[in-house]
Amino acid sequence: MALILTCPVCGKRNGYEFRYGGEDKGPRPAEAGLTPAAWCDYVHMNKCTAGVLKEWWFHRDGCGSWFTTWRDTTKNLEVAQPEASK
Amino acid sequence: MVAIKRQSPVQFKVSPRNTEVRDNWTVALEYDEEGRGPWLADLAHKTRWDLQDSKVGEQRPCDLAVPATPGSCTFANDTLVNRMNRTQTSVYHLGAAAPALPDFAGYTDVTESTVFLALFGPKAFHIAEKLSALDFLDPAKQAPFLYQGPFCHVPCQIVTLEKAADGSGGFLLTCSRGYGDSMIHAILEAGSSLGLRPAGENRFSAWIRGLQE
Repeated sequence: MALILTCPVCGKRNGYEFRYGGEDKGPRPAEAGLTPAAWCDYVHMNKCTAGVLKEWWFHRDGCGSWFTTWRDTTKNLEVAQPEASK
Repeated sequence: MVAIKRQSPVQFKVSPRNTEVRDNWTVALEYDEEGRGPWLADLAHKTRWDLQDSKVGEQRPCDLAVPATPGSCTFANDTLVNRMNRTQTSVYHLGAAAPALPDFAGYTDVTESTVFLALFGPKAFHIAEKLSALDFLDPAKQAPFLYQGPFCHVPCQIVTLEKAADGSGGFLLTCSRGYGDSMIHAILEAGSSLGLRPAGENRFSAWIRGLQE
């Protein structure tokens, strides 16, 4: 099934208009006391969740917005924010 | 002294019957055998601005209000103001006059960096459907409205100015200048079975006048 994503500016659009921006890993870690290993983990390590995941997307062929949304990686469908994450 | 010559990014294979030099652009006014539509008009010479400001909604380009919602447009006095997002608006001047850029740092003149085309007339949207997955005839949308999305797989700004359920009406399209020749080729190829022909500025101006009456 084709992926449909909801851009905050343009609304629902074909997934081919977007570029994947990776998992949302939360805010950049504070530099005070940051070890190289912790920084490496933040930059390179992913959860690769089989299920609902918060991700960054870029509306490359449209308005140029970066935004986050939730996607079920087992079905490749955009889903509502899970209650547990609110 | 060498005279400045401003060159449109697109060229039709047929030559216009009447032309006029305006602000260093050679403007095609009329073509032979323009037919009964649909038509494709090159509007590269029409002045276009981008306006960017953190409070863009409070700006008044050419005394027109900037719409509050992204995707909405204001169209009056031959000027079209299109809200793109929270901070950006595009302004198209569709009349013959080329207004001076306002004395405000948020404006950028993008006239010579973009392609600017109008596809209008009967079955115009039947041609658009061949080239884009965007829903120009969405009954929930009232013309004029702005889409930012792919047309011929190229990121474009597309403003639908008029639409009818039978696929007639028309829209304006802008994209980066480098896509000009490919865009013209693809649109004319898609419209060949529907009688699409190049049209001059006169026919475009008559359509625009009709929309504002």
